[in-house]
Order: sequence, then structure tokens, then C-alpha cells
Amino acid sequence: MKITTHLRKTAFLVAFLAALGGLLGVGASQVQAAGKVVNISYWHVNAQTQGGAAVDDLVKNFNKTHPNIQVSAKYNPNMYQGLMQNLQSAQASNKVPDIVQVGWAYTNYFGSNFKYLTPTAAQSKFDKNSHFITKNFTKRTLSFAKDSNGKLVGLPYSLSTPILYYNKTMLDKYGIKASDLATWEGVSGAAKKIKAASGNYGLYIQEPGDTWAQQAVLLSNGAKIIQKGKAAFDSKKGQAAYQLYQDMVVKDKTALHTPWAQGMDAFVNGKVAIAYTTVAQASHVKSSVNFDVQAITSPHFKGQKAVVPVGGSMLAITAQKTSQQKAAWVFEKYMYDNSSLVTWSKGTGYLPPTSSALKDQTFKSYVNDNPMLKPAIAQIDTAVPWTSFPKNGLDAEQTMIDARDKILAGSSVKSTLKAAQEKINEQQ
Amino acid sequence: MNSSKQQHRVLTLLYLAPTALILLVFIVIPIIYTLYLSFFDWNLIAPTKNFVGWRNYLTIFTDPVNQKVLLNTLGYIGLLLVLNFAIPYVISIIVQFFIHKMQGVYKIIFFIPSLFSLVVGAMVFAWIMNPVSGPIALLLRQIGFTLPNWTNSGGLAIVMLCLITNWKVFGYNFVLLLTGLGSIPQNLIDAAQVDHIPKWRLIWDVVLPLNKSMAFYVLILTIVQGLQYVFTPINVITQGGPYYGSSNVLYHTYLNAFVLYKTGNASALAILTFVIFLILLFLEIKFVEGRDADAPI
Repeated sequence: MKITTHLRKTAFLVAFLAALGGLLGVGASQVQAAGKVVNISYWHVNAQTQGGAAVDDLVKNFNKTHPNIQVSAKYNPNMYQGLMQNLQSAQASNKVPDIVQVGWAYTNYFGSNFKYLTPTAAQSKFDKNSHFITKNFTKRTLSFAKDSNGKLVGLPYSLSTPILYYNKTMLDKYGIKASDLATWEGVSGAAKKIKAASGNYGLYIQEPGDTWAQQAVLLSNGAKIIQKGKAAFDSKKGQAAYQLYQDMVVKDKTALHTPWAQGMDAFVNGKVAIAYTTVAQASHVKSSVNFDVQAITSPHFKGQKAVVPVGGSMLAITAQKTSQQKAAWVFEKYMYDNSSLVTWSKGTGYLPPTSSALKDQTFKSYVNDNPMLKPAIAQIDTAVPWTSFPKNGLDAEQTMIDARDKILAGSSVKSTLKAAQEKINEQQ
Repeated sequence: MNSSKQQHRVLTLLYLAPTALILLVFIVIPIIYTLYLSFFDWNLIAPTKNFVGWRNYLTIFTDPVNQKVLLNTLGYIGLLLVLNFAIPYVISIIVQFFIHKMQGVYKIIFFIPSLFSLVVGAMVFAWIMNPVSGPIALLLRQIGFTLPNWTNSGGLAIVMLCLITNWKVFGYNFVLLLTGLGSIPQNLIDAAQVDHIPKWRLIWDVVLPLNKSMAFYVLILTIVQGLQYVFTPINVITQGGPYYGSSNVLYHTYLNAFVLYKTGNASALAILTFVIFLILLFLEIKFVEGRDADAPI
């Protein structure tokens, strides 16, 4: 008797689960039946505090003005790395989004591992006679989004460059002028002065999970990071640049060596006089300091020119079906409207990638209110693509991070750079 | 009779099936797949996997970075055992047997941090303990000391990261141990007191052996869960740096798998970790539990 009750209960449970499954199935088929409207998904990395609100506004406005296309935006935590991780899983389960933000460091990795539609192909497929790409982007800007074979992977979307922020209040106190900071030798001298007079650190160079800023230092001494597809930073000029940086950290103790968040905390709290970091930090810096803060362009070494790698991301079309690809292309073009780009720029602190948006009146007045963006804009014309090694690029970046950490802990610059370069080139 | 027995068996299997299925799908199959992947060189999405035999396992022991990470892991285990097991145990004994007032208050106060997110905790600690501009550093500077720059030293970073985990785990372990101590039959303790047995002997000879099961549970929890918990502050604050100085096996596995997409290396590391944990469990069960398998838990 008891057993039959058990059986009945079990049967009921099974029936219930089956019914639930059926309901879900019905739901899914109804969505498919709705048809007509093309649904596409857009993956971005912007949390609410980092431009997420701007993304929502843009998508909402697009959906309102384009009744046949519905875009849903999906936020991916942990920046471009997090997005790439999610894209991996999506690809594995064959449910890829239609348009994604790809960080520069992933250009080659993305290009050689994922299926995507190049902007050039999208344009010739859906906009036969249009010159959308050449009209809006300079050759230099487009070069940022090319892989090691020279193929355009996506369209540049957000640009950033490293700039030198300084605590003007502190510098004034010790008689240091902004013009003294035009060279890295000058920065080193100023840092010494500050350390001796106040005990505070003179300089902090950002140390996130990449060597973007360190590459800028090397490039600004005339060194090359990559040459003909091989690592080339272990040169006289590369060593000299790292040596100055190491001396400041290890010997003189005038530069701070610590993870990014802590370093920026120390700067905005007035414990470090100068910070070398991305322009995307401008609004954070501006809102956190209680001293006069200003910014100038990247320093260079004496007798050399300042060269900075560009940061930010591109938009790439990962949609597989033609209808989705077309919708993604329409959405992408909307995102490059001047007004969309200005909304985007204001929301994130990145610079717009098109020349017309840079000249846009609204953007200009925004820059006038936020003068720390000016040095970054001035550098865009001379910026170079972020180094992306053709093979095993992520491993190569990790090797450069390891070399940076070793050097800043006091290891010999010469032998560390040599070992790192050999390790990377073995894999190319 | 026979059919009812059979029905029983069918029902037993049926009731176990959902759990077994979940275990199979989410635990057993992934472990087998990880084992399989550990013999390949693969980046998660490339269409082909290159078979490399034991190479991934060999690199674990020959690569200096992996060696460093393995050593760090031992350091973490040692420190976590002191911070999250030994100290809470001593304090729970003090609270249970030496303090008679406000036991509940202690429980609540110690337990509160375990309700907070470890990410939030890590960020707050990183700010408080910022060696240059944090409040502790400023306070120390006022009285003439300097806080060492712990982010630049692997050893100090490990200590700091363990302390953050300790903040989170301490209360939970404390409450578990205290509950274990509270369930020791009062008549045994009363009997010992009647016989005028000194308190330290009561604790050493009666309380500790009787509370062995709970202590064993917390010990295992400290090692296995501690290494996982410490992942969060590593990821938030140091990302394993300086130069892998604060990385441990779990973070290094994550780095290989989801930052560098070296699935083979990551899988080999994961399997190694799995085997180490398995051996630990086996040893503990054999030597701690096995001696008196009939003892009540």
C-alpha cells in the first residue's frame, strides 16, 4: 500500500517535470514564431559605472528608431578578458552573439580562433556603393584593428592613450614646472626632488595585467616591441628605457611599484606626485582628488619622439546568419554616428575613433570642460597599434608582464629582457 | 514479498537518480574530461587538439614558475591552518570552557564577516592596507613606522591575502568548532570536575578526543575551502604577483585555463590538485577517523 503511494508520488513528480519541460518548449517555439523582427545581441564590457548607462541609452534609442531590429545588450564582467572567456564558451555551445567588443590585445587571438565577418566584407555585402569605412576612419586608426596579416578584423570603437597626470599643487610647491616633465629624464629628476623634499613618491606607472604603459616607455626611447613578427624589445634602447624605470623603483625609490588600483589610490590621495596611466582614468582622477590635477602628453627620452600604443577596443561582427549580419552592420553604423559616439565618449572617457566625431561641436565643448583629454587627443595622430604577436599572443603578453615584475623586483634588466625575448620568439 | 523488495530497490534507485545524475553531469564527467584534456595541447576552441602525452605533467614539476606556485600553495596551507583552524579552535575552547558570559555575543560578532562578499572584503582591505596611502600606513607614519610594501613581496602578500580570507572564514569555523565542543556530554565534564582533574587535562584528554570528528571536518574544510577562498583576494588584489609570488595552484590553474587558454597545462594542474586533495582526505580518514570508526559523530 505504502509503496503504491510512493509510486504515485513519483509518477506525479515525473508528470510535473514533463509538464514544466513542455511549457518551456512551447515558450521557445512561440518566440521563434514571432519571426519578422531580427533579434541581435551585442556584448560589451561596460559596467554601470564605466559607461554601461551610455550603452543602454544607445541601444534603447536604436531599438526605438529601428522597428525591424531589436538589439539586446549584454554586459560581460572583467573587461575584454572576461568577454573573451564568455565568447569561448558561447562558441563551444554554438550560441555566439552577433556583435562584440574586442580589446586590441586580442586582435590576433580573436582573428585566428573565431568566425567573424570583416567590416570590409560587411560593407561590400550590404552597402555596395558606400565608402563608410574609408570616409570615417583614417588609415592610422584602421591600422589599430588589423591582425598580423594586415586583415581588418573589426572597426575601431574606443581609443585611449596613456597620459601623464600630475599633482600641480605638489609640483608647484617644489618648484617643478610641467615642461620639466616632457622627457623621462626630466620626470626622473622631478621625482628625485619630490622624494628628497617630501618623502613622497614621484612617479607611478600603471601595472595592470598587461604591459601597455611600459611598452609606451620603451617605444618613446626609439625601441621596438615587435619587428617582422618577432619580439625585438631586447635592444640597447629598450634596455636603457627599462633601466631608468628600474633605477627609479629599486635604486632611488622615487617611483612606486604596486598593482594598479593601489597605485592610483596613492596618486589621488596625494602620496605620489605623477601618474602615468590611461586617459580613461581621467574622470575617476578628476572626481577623486582634492588638489589641482592636470595632464600632459606622454614623455619621451632625450633625443627621441614620444610614441604610444593605442588602447581600447573594436567592434567585430560574429553573427553567422546573413539576416543577423545585416542587422549587426546597421547597428554598427548607428554606433558610429557622431551623436552616438559623443554619448559613448562622455559615458566612458574613451576617445571617439572617427575624425568627424572628434571635430563635433558637442565633443569639443565636452573636451573644453575636461581639459585632461586634450593631451590624449593630441597623441592619437602618432599612436601605434597595441603589440599583438602573431602566435601565442596571450602567452607573449604574460611573458612581458613577468619580465616587468622581475625587473621591478631588482633582476638584471639585460638578462631578463633577453630571456623574455627568447621565450616569446621560440613560440613565433 | 520478493516483488516488494524489488520495488524497494527500484524506488531507491529512482530516488537516488536525480542526485546521481547531477553528480555525474557536474562532477564525475568534468573530472574525467579534465583528465583527458590534460594530455593535450589545446586552447578551448581550436578544432584540433594536439596529443602531448605526459608533457603537461612534466612541465608542472620542471617549470620554475610551477615549482614556485606549488611551494606557495604549501605556504598558504600552513598559514591557513594556523589562522583558520588553530586560532579559532583555541578561541572556541576559551569561549566554551573559560568564559561564561556573552558566549552568544561572541558567536554573532565573529560570524558577521562570513555574511559579506569576499570581493567587497578584499577591496576594502586593499584600501585600508594600501602601503602608501591607506589609513593604517598613515597611522603608522604618525608614530614613526612604515608599513612594508606588501604588494611587492610574495611572502607578505601571502600573509595579507590569508588574513583577508581569515576575516571571512574565522567566524564560520569558530561557530562549527564551538558547536562541536558544546555537544560533548556535560556529565563527562561534571565527572572530571568532581574528581578535581585540572582543566588543561580535561581539555587534552577528554574534550579534544571527543571533538575529533568536528575538528577533522574543519581541518579539511580549512585546506580545501581555504585555498579556494583565497582565490578571490588574489584575483582582486595581486593577480598572483609579484612574479607569481602570491599565486597558488588554484589561481595558477585559472590563469592557465582562462587567461592564457592553455587548457592542457591547466587540466594537468587541476588533476594534480585533485590527487593531492584526495590523498589528504584519505590520510585524514585513515589516521583520524579510521582508528575508531564506531565513534559517534
